[in-house]
Amino acid sequence: MLQTIRERAQGWIAWAIVILISIPFALWGIQSYLGVGGEPIAATVNGVELPERELDRRVQEARLDLRERLGADYDPATVDDQQLRAEVLDTLIQETVLLEAVKRLGLRVSDQEVQLQILSDPSFVKDGRFDKETYERLLRFQGLTPALYEAQLRQKLSATQLVRALASSELATRTERDAYKRLMGQRREISYLRLPLAAHRTEEPLDEARITAYYDSNRARFQTPEQVKLDYLVLDSEQLAAKIEVSEDELRQLYASDQARFVQPERRAVRHLLLKVEDGADAAAAQAVLEQIQAIRARIQAGESFEELAKTLSQDPGSAAQGGSLGIIESGIMVPAFDQAAFALAVGAVSEPVRTNFGYHLIEVTQIQPATTQPFAAVRESLHDQLTKQRAESLFYDLAERLATITYESPESLEPAAQELGLTIQHSDWVSREHSEPSVLAHPKVMAAAFHEEVLVNGRNSDLLEPERDRLQAVVLRVVAHRDVSVKALADVREEISAAIRDEQARVAAKAAAEALAEKLRDGSDWSAAGADLTPELPGLVDRQSTAVPAGVLDAAFKLAVPTEGGVSIGTAILDDGDAVVVRVTKVEDGQIDAETADAGFSAEAFIITQMLGRQAYLNALADMQSRAKIERKVTATAEAMP
Amino acid sequence: MSYETDDEKVEAIKTWWKQNGLSILAGALVGLGGIWGWRLWLNYQDSTAMHASTVFEQLMLDAGDHKTDAVTQQAATLHDDFAATPYAALGALVAAKALHEAGQHDAALTALQQAIDTAPDPAIAHVAALRLARLQLAAQQLDAAAKTLAQYDVSPAFAAEFAAVRGDLATVRGDLDAARAAYQRAIELGSSLSSLIRLKLDNLPAAG
Repeated sequence: MLQTIRERAQGWIAWAIVILISIPFALWGIQSYLGVGGEPIAATVNGVELPERELDRRVQEARLDLRERLGADYDPATVDDQQLRAEVLDTLIQETVLLEAVKRLGLRVSDQEVQLQILSDPSFVKDGRFDKETYERLLRFQGLTPALYEAQLRQKLSATQLVRALASSELATRTERDAYKRLMGQRREISYLRLPLAAHRTEEPLDEARITAYYDSNRARFQTPEQVKLDYLVLDSEQLAAKIEVSEDELRQLYASDQARFVQPERRAVRHLLLKVEDGADAAAAQAVLEQIQAIRARIQAGESFEELAKTLSQDPGSAAQGGSLGIIESGIMVPAFDQAAFALAVGAVSEPVRTNFGYHLIEVTQIQPATTQPFAAVRESLHDQLTKQRAESLFYDLAERLATITYESPESLEPAAQELGLTIQHSDWVSREHSEPSVLAHPKVMAAAFHEEVLVNGRNSDLLEPERDRLQAVVLRVVAHRDVSVKALADVREEISAAIRDEQARVAAKAAAEALAEKLRDGSDWSAAGADLTPELPGLVDRQSTAVPAGVLDAAFKLAVPTEGGVSIGTAILDDGDAVVVRVTKVEDGQIDAETADAGFSAEAFIITQMLGRQAYLNALADMQSRAKIERKVTATAEAMP
Repeated sequence: MSYETDDEKVEAIKTWWKQNGLSILAGALVGLGGIWGWRLWLNYQDSTAMHASTVFEQLMLDAGDHKTDAVTQQAATLHDDFAATPYAALGALVAAKALHEAGQHDAALTALQQAIDTAPDPAIAHVAALRLARLQLAAQQLDAAAKTLAQYDVSPAFAAEFAAVRGDLATVRGDLDAARAAYQRAIELGSSLSSLIRLKLDNLPAAG
């Protein structure tokens, strides 16, 4: 039998089997190289894939950012997830276009630049200097290796190079600066005449049909929104805290058990003098350095100043200029050998040479601040607050849980919960989604719950609501009365409507009168054509910032065409208060070009022009690249499934 | 193929190796050499780009300090020694501003033309061309400006800013209708200087 197997195993069947078996092994894991069936992709930009995961992360960030910016106004219900997602994707695509262009064009900042950026990044700094461990830990946290992070950083820095090159090289020509200055500094000689709205108001009775028509076409204006009256219970940790009592014994106990917190350990003012020993130095080289430093030590002991010698001889660039001073340190900050020596010295004594991985140090302690303990009386208040807060918090969570349970188990009333937990049921007036008092109800989350079907229609208690996470406040509410959207009756708003119609009529009449007067002036009449009781205002030359004339007049005056020599330019406008005006421009004076500043390229005008155009140059370039990029957006089901 | 003994197998492998061994070794060597050469090439490119990048950063610094001579020199270095990198064009772009501010208008025009010619991407050429047209206009070279506009106003992304320059050109030429149309177009397309362009538009004499 074995013989048969052996014979067969030599033949082609065996080979065929071996080949068949080896195929899956050879191809195992290939999908991760080919991207087949890999993670879902949100879009591709010139072949660069933007993973759905990255988009999710960025959307999440955008939402947090929104919450931060809006604070209490943030309402998850009003944020359109689809839209936010689309916007974030647009930004992401734009960024990718830029980064891809950087790569394609071959922009590449130098290693030093990348290094400098990392070294100066405050998030990697510990104890005042760059810390490699912190750096690596933070990267690991983000799932990055240093090499990967450095490559990403390099790409970003290279991108800013492009941005800076395009934006900062923007210029403003002499002609452009002068034109801006002439226009901005322009003054116009104007006069104007006001045709008051009131003069065109009539008191004759209004047609009934017109009032009805107005009412019918403006129903939305006369609506009262959907409203509810609420009963509610509020649980508030601050109120709980007021009732909590903490005994003196407990405070003492806390003080005793947490002693370490109140101890300020011994601190020492230290200076040092460093002679470096290179990393790869052999014993002889180290010995030479040791001898040098011993010589220096001898000089100090012979009376020379430590400070002066450190200034001239120390090879620690950070401290040498300060006479070797390292400031005030606590034990445990410096490398162990240094630490031990520094904390064993008496004030004014100079240490033996201390060997660390930097080299040899001489250390001098200039001052000792002994360890101190804060007395109980000084910290009593903060201990009291701490304990009260802790207890109030745990009491809050405990009560909140019971409140949730009870209101859920007896959904038809708040009474049982109020009794059991010693809370008072509060009653609100009519409130709508947009308008609610007191403020605890005003939170969108709370109002959303009040208008939720279970609560509004089925009359159940709401869930336990926590309007603001960090305030430790909980609310349970129920609807006791509800009224639908209603439109005020015509009789109730009749006055309002007639006033509106009369206003509108007066406006039209005043405007028509202004147009007629303007026409007469254009035909050569002077202001007397307006009638004896109306007199023109003659402010003379005004500039664009003038506050001497109403904004509407100024705006109209500067929009009018420049009059021909000796001619006039006439226009009309409606002011904010409804009065109509006729405006006449008789002269235009351009802003002065100062001969001195005209040649210097750095005027305010030049600054504005270069700023605006420079920014735009970069945005346009990016838009241009984007228009030529091959961009595919994948529409996936996950977009709808987002919470 | 079937072999009677293990010795035969060894023999067969040996013969096969004698026949093919050399070409396999040669193939592997060529392959490895190719990979090595490619990496060397990439490294060379990287280090050239980094070198150019350093020169460019210095140029930006000098431009900020208004050291026009140093800027010109670095721009020349980028143009002569690093023509294959994008820094040649970017350097010319920054140099143009420095030269313009130092009053060397012809040199600024040349620098912008150089930026257009060496631009590694049309977007950069468009930025440079827009500035070139504005400088030509300021230097009263109206025909040259018109030519630059006609040649480079091709991308919708830059259309608004180009329209604004067209408006300025038409105003200088006294063609007020064309100026009005161009300014209006610039505002409609959302030029970054819309409020200034609105002032220019309002300030044109009444339509005849």
